[in-house]
Amino acid sequence: MPTITIDPITRIEGHAKVTIQLDEQGEVQGARFHVTQVRGFEKLCEGRPFTEMPALMARICGICPTSHLLASSKACDDIMAVRIPETAEKLRRIMNLAQITQSHALSFFYLSSPDFLLGMDADPEERNIMGVVRKYPQMARDGIKLRQFGQRVLETLGGKRVHPGWIVPGGVSHPLQADHRDQILAEIPEAIRITRSALQWFKGQIENFRAEVRSFANFPSLFLAMANDTNEFSAYNGWLRFIDANLNIVADHITGTDYLNYIGESCNDDSYLKSTYFKPLGLADGIYRVGPLARLNMCQSAGTTQADEELAEFRELERHSVLSSFYYHYARLIEILFSIERMETLLNEPEILGKNVRAHASPNNFEGVGILEAPRGTLIHHYRIDQNGLIESANMIIATGHNNLAINHGVFQVARQFVKSKKLEQGMLNRVEAVVRAFDPCLSCSTHAAGMMPLDIQLLSADGEMIDRMRR
Amino acid sequence: MPRTLLLGYGNTLCGDDALGPMAVERLRALLPGAEFISCHQLGPELAETMAVFDFALFLDAACDGEPGTVHVERLSPSSDQAASLTHHVEPAALLELAHALYGRAPLAMLVTGVGESFDNHEGLSAKGNQALEEICRIVPRIVPKPLADLPTME
Repeated sequence: MPTITIDPITRIEGHAKVTIQLDEQGEVQGARFHVTQVRGFEKLCEGRPFTEMPALMARICGICPTSHLLASSKACDDIMAVRIPETAEKLRRIMNLAQITQSHALSFFYLSSPDFLLGMDADPEERNIMGVVRKYPQMARDGIKLRQFGQRVLETLGGKRVHPGWIVPGGVSHPLQADHRDQILAEIPEAIRITRSALQWFKGQIENFRAEVRSFANFPSLFLAMANDTNEFSAYNGWLRFIDANLNIVADHITGTDYLNYIGESCNDDSYLKSTYFKPLGLADGIYRVGPLARLNMCQSAGTTQADEELAEFRELERHSVLSSFYYHYARLIEILFSIERMETLLNEPEILGKNVRAHASPNNFEGVGILEAPRGTLIHHYRIDQNGLIESANMIIATGHNNLAINHGVFQVARQFVKSKKLEQGMLNRVEAVVRAFDPCLSCSTHAAGMMPLDIQLLSADGEMIDRMRR
Repeated sequence: MPRTLLLGYGNTLCGDDALGPMAVERLRALLPGAEFISCHQLGPELAETMAVFDFALFLDAACDGEPGTVHVERLSPSSDQAASLTHHVEPAALLELAHALYGRAPLAMLVTGVGESFDNHEGLSAKGNQALEEICRIVPRIVPKPLADLPTME
């Protein structure tokens, strides 16, 4: 059977490939997204003191280390059974919002904007960030400026842009200085201007991408995101909620103690990336999506003025939930706007300069779970420790794993629409890549499960009969 | 007085990959007029920073070559590696971005020290230390020269 392989997928974080199977008539019969790298963090942290986990887990990824720091620290808070000081919680929330800002800016401006600005069918020699730099330098400068802003907040608070060690079990290591707060606040108007400008531009482009809107993982599915009592956008505090495509709540008030009743994980024999699914419906029917699209479908309001205006317009795209994964890009921009506005609010609160920023305690629980919304979606860190505070086991569920089934579904959907064996064009293949890119997968993060992948080797005869088999 | 930037990059948790950042720490005392950046990796955000300098010296570790040796090369802006950039860019691509977006790129050189151990640990190997010493010996001598010899790219 003829197979088209796209390897590697470009402009994503990590290494992956897609295979598309054609039938004898040359029509697409199947398509798969394979992640070909492995990291192994769940295994290598066993035996380490739990207090080391935030710093260790941050090394999972160079793009979203702050998200892992936060989720890991929340899991450690849970192990210590402490409620962190109010100032510390607000500072952590600012870090999370800055992380969302810089990560989304990277995804939109650096990775995806070549497709929007130069066209899906543009020459691949041109359809890249340098093409954007040459033809749309202001857009490129804006992208750099916006990401710089997010990174500067991380650096100002955490001491460095990548792998800051400021977030610790029990809170943060030191308080925010007034001059540092003022530096961040001074940059906010420009960051908002850039985001609004990008939003205006993107909304004007949607009409040009109708075919992509229709085919980019556009299907009814469940959505998972953090929820709270106010039904406002929530990225740090709250519980987990599943909704369906009609915005009905399917499961609610899911916490660290019972998430395993709702989220199942399945290993794949052709990829290092596990697939998660909504357990009550099983692997076949339990497909769900996380991340910006899920979060905007989930919340009733953003909770900030400008983001709420944009959210109202976003909701007009569809009658119920917004289903096309092409709109992840749109949702990202709205989330950037929300994040900047919320950061401004938090930084202007007087207690943000408070000196009490850390709670100290020894382990009081043998188990701890930390959950938050990372840029790409729901992030869960779950640790078990022994009597000496050493990690016995760790389970991390990362956004890209949550989205794996949806990514595969989307790849198949796009392949069927755009890939015709008799007329292969770069733009068609790029659309298959682009649907993966819409989810902004972070493969470094998500392939952390060394030793977990089942290995099944079958020796088949020429007529397909299995003559030997090894399984692990 | 030309503005000079020394930029050391590498992962300090991967043995000799820390050569760049460690060289920066050592060279601060030896080159008081210069400015320094130490980072994990080069990101596109550094393009704007680059554009305000007259001379930039990138300090990096290499795994190919004779461990302990140091290599110096002149850099020119190049878009070859910038096309696929994500969160990491090569020095020449960074210069290209600075030039294309901000109208100016500094004259630049790349100094690489060849290490022998890039495993997950902190600290340099014996050969890594040898390369570090050589970098600290060479850099103070080469920093002023390009400034006198070469025109600024506009």
